[in-house]
Amino acid sequence: MIKNYIKIAWRNLKRNKAYAFISVVGLALGITCGILIFTLITYHLSFDNFHKTPDRVYRLYTEWHDESVGRSQGVPQPLGKTFRNDFALAEQTARAISFHDNLITITQGNQVKKFNEEDGVAFTEAGYFDILNFPLLKGDKKTILVKPGEAILTEKTARKYFGDADPIGKVIRLDNKVNFTITGVLKDLPANTDRKQQVYVSYGNMNEYTNKEREDNWGGVFSGSEVFTLLKPSTTLASANEAMALIVKKHYTGRDLKVWKFKLQPLSDIHFNSDLDGYADKKYLWALFFIGLFLIITACVNFVNLATAQALNRAKEIGVRKVLGSLPRQLFWQFIAETTLITLVAVIVAVALSFIALPVINNLFHSQMAFELSQLAVFIVLISILVVFLSGSYPGLVLARFQPILALKSKLSQEHVGGFSLRRILVVTQFSISQVLIIGAIIIVSQLHYSQTADLGFNKDAVVLLPIPQNDKAKLSTLHNRINEVQGVEKSSYCYRPPASQSNNSTDVRFNHRAEDEHWGINTKPGDENFLSTFGMKLVAGRNFFPADTTREFLVNETFVKKLNLKPQDVIGKMLSVNGRSTTAPIVGVVKDFYNYSFHTEISAVCIMPDYRSYSTLAVKINMRNAKTSLAAFEKIWNETFPEELYSYQFLDDSVGKFYEMDNIQLKLVEAFAGIAILIGCLGLYGLVSFMAVRKTKEIGVRKVLGANTQHILWLFGKEFTYLLLIAFVIAAPLAWWVMHNYLQDFKYRITIGPGIFLASILSTFIIASITVGYRSIMAATANPVKSLRSE
Amino acid sequence: MLSLQHISKYYQVSGLKNFVLNDLSLEIDEGEFVSIMGPSGSGKSSLLNIIGMLDEPSEGYHYFAGQAVHQLKEKQRSALYKQYVGFVFQAYHLIDELTVYENIETPLIYQDFKGSERKAMVADILDRFNIVGKKDLFPAQLSGGQQQLVGIARALIAKPKLLLADEPTGNLNSKQGEEIMELFRKLNKEDGVTIIQVTHSEKNAEYGSRIINLLDGKIESSKQL
Repeated sequence: MIKNYIKIAWRNLKRNKAYAFISVVGLALGITCGILIFTLITYHLSFDNFHKTPDRVYRLYTEWHDESVGRSQGVPQPLGKTFRNDFALAEQTARAISFHDNLITITQGNQVKKFNEEDGVAFTEAGYFDILNFPLLKGDKKTILVKPGEAILTEKTARKYFGDADPIGKVIRLDNKVNFTITGVLKDLPANTDRKQQVYVSYGNMNEYTNKEREDNWGGVFSGSEVFTLLKPSTTLASANEAMALIVKKHYTGRDLKVWKFKLQPLSDIHFNSDLDGYADKKYLWALFFIGLFLIITACVNFVNLATAQALNRAKEIGVRKVLGSLPRQLFWQFIAETTLITLVAVIVAVALSFIALPVINNLFHSQMAFELSQLAVFIVLISILVVFLSGSYPGLVLARFQPILALKSKLSQEHVGGFSLRRILVVTQFSISQVLIIGAIIIVSQLHYSQTADLGFNKDAVVLLPIPQNDKAKLSTLHNRINEVQGVEKSSYCYRPPASQSNNSTDVRFNHRAEDEHWGINTKPGDENFLSTFGMKLVAGRNFFPADTTREFLVNETFVKKLNLKPQDVIGKMLSVNGRSTTAPIVGVVKDFYNYSFHTEISAVCIMPDYRSYSTLAVKINMRNAKTSLAAFEKIWNETFPEELYSYQFLDDSVGKFYEMDNIQLKLVEAFAGIAILIGCLGLYGLVSFMAVRKTKEIGVRKVLGANTQHILWLFGKEFTYLLLIAFVIAAPLAWWVMHNYLQDFKYRITIGPGIFLASILSTFIIASITVGYRSIMAATANPVKSLRSE
Repeated sequence: MLSLQHISKYYQVSGLKNFVLNDLSLEIDEGEFVSIMGPSGSGKSSLLNIIGMLDEPSEGYHYFAGQAVHQLKEKQRSALYKQYVGFVFQAYHLIDELTVYENIETPLIYQDFKGSERKAMVADILDRFNIVGKKDLFPAQLSGGQQQLVGIARALIAKPKLLLADEPTGNLNSKQGEEIMELFRKLNKEDGVTIIQVTHSEKNAEYGSRIINLLDGKIESSKQL
């Protein structure tokens, strides 16, 4: 029986190649998206799930409860030590303090090799590798990183540094400050971990690397200062939290007692918590899940649509089979067999497409996803069964229920194949889904365009950022002078970071010697007297500060003034204290507000002041016509000034563009999905029009005999799909508005959703749909009426 | 063999009953060869479909092989039908995607015969109808007469007691028609198959043992030959 089913299924597909092709393509696209989204979601869910006892591993983090709640994955450096020494709640607690973009120097004979470690270097306590499961290939786990001066690195980093030579015993120099001897090699870190550092060095050298005060400083946090703990099986989260409260009580006084809180974050939460440094917000994974589901549904709907339209052509076969004694059940299964065959072909195509598409997606996300073949196999089997039954059962039921007499006499009409209106509902569903995606894509594009072209309050074009690795006064002034002499340089300024940066320092603020600190922080932006002119920023009151090496005067922004409920003129001449009142100076000017973060974040209070020790960037405004020669000159001068360092530069607009990296990825995904949804929708529409053309053959013939011209006939079709698209739009528009309204909430500065966006969406859909139905309609409209009437 | 009592078939059109069969009663015994005649629209095909259980009457009682069909469930009716009835159509109604062999085999598949049995039975009937050479051809490659021969072979493959034929020669030329009629007579006489055929042709009707004339859904006359 099965053999017979498959045989007839195969012959049927061969006979109706166009139908088989459209069905297979539609399903394959839907399933491809399903496979890719499944891979993406399982990849993110698999993050850091390979540790030995993941449910007992926690990371400590900091919360500040003041006017607003702030959070950081970084904790004061002494916290980990205190938790370990004062409490017996954990089996292991280890601190790991990591820095980014470190310079690693290796000297072999006369040869000096320099490497930039983008993922950074972590000063790590030995227990770290007991808590987290990163196995050693070489070296003794018991002694590793216990003594100062040791380093371990991953296999691939070892190969990068030393080629095939044995790295054990070799010496690396970190940021031209501290030497480490390699005592171990780690197995390469898996792709699905958020611990990205490739080089780990002894925690004992921390004081040598930075200043000593950090080790006992409870007053501030550095985002790279993390603590991991493996709680004892008997320890409850509540008791650990109690311990945290006790620590706060012991080490803080006054208002800080209420402000500071330490908490434990489960290992499984780290990858998803966007309040801290989580990468993949579960919200977006859910959104992806639903998009995937929608695409698969669309593909199935498409299939149902085509198959039921096709059912009329098979009426005779079904009638004969019934007369020959087939039960409805048997016909149903025959159709399921056919659907299975189509689905199998589609799955094969989809798997091939997925293998082609995965590298593209990895490239987009900078990720290293790979197919987990065992998981994927289960998924594919499940999704195939789902697709077969979702798309096969309805047409199967329709066919099985045919009245044999009517079927044989070709008297079946659309009512017998589920009605024309059902097909309409299906097409409306498909187009609602694709219009939601189109509207989404248009809104993301508009928002990104707005972010990238809006007036940021400073000039981001033609500004080159050069790193400053050493804050030696003499070197700085020589470098400055030499750079300014380069042809094409218009202005230059030393600063910590440009006006908008992902790296920021926030501190407490006290205004005009008031009794207590304000309940909000201030973003300090160290920069010299050329900061305003280099970045084209404007003063609204007062004047720029005079040239100085250390902080003698402050500039603040309008938001600062607003937060104090004052007018710009009122703050001029008043005193401002920051950094725990260690720096106090008068305010001399107020600058116009500028976006000091991305559009996702509200503009905060900002102060600008000279402080040469904080400078880490030389911002140079150049004339782009000479950019090439200027950049070459910069490199030469920089390398002569800092011969031991590794040169790199960045344009400010690229650096600002990085704020929107995730948004750009989202945009590309939504664009791709919208494209696929439209494509599948068009296949469905094509199916509908083909069905209509067959059904209306006689009507068209009669109308033409009665004198209708081609336009009249085309309108028969045009009327139909105009009507369907309008209904789809009415459904999609409010839904899309709601979804995108929520999406835009993530931007503090955003576009408004205007009617233009909806208009653009429906227009584009109309154009695409017209092209789809156009060909088939014109074929039907220009057919010779004599032919179509003769068969009646 | 079968008995129809006070059978009516009508369609409700805006409240009015449009009768196709009107209070019709009919008895047919095993071994009969009945020809049903009548003008277009007199209800011939509807009667045949009701006898063959492809359609249900609106009113009336229907007994077939001792069972009350009007009381049977769909499944039981289907089982009864499979066991007793073979159908031949004017337009042959072969499945275009299947070969001659597969067309003939299909009813056996639905009656759960084993593969080896099916093979033997199909080979047997191909031989009997002298169409062994055509078994791998598709319907479109055959002439009308040959297609009808395949249609009859398919109707007979499961050895039905009752063969229903709806204008079996309507699409054939007179020579082919005669051959089919001869075949029917032989089946009736030698194999004892009960045959009911609908026909327009007086000549073909006379191959049977009884002629029933229908008019407006009622039996106008019935004569034994």
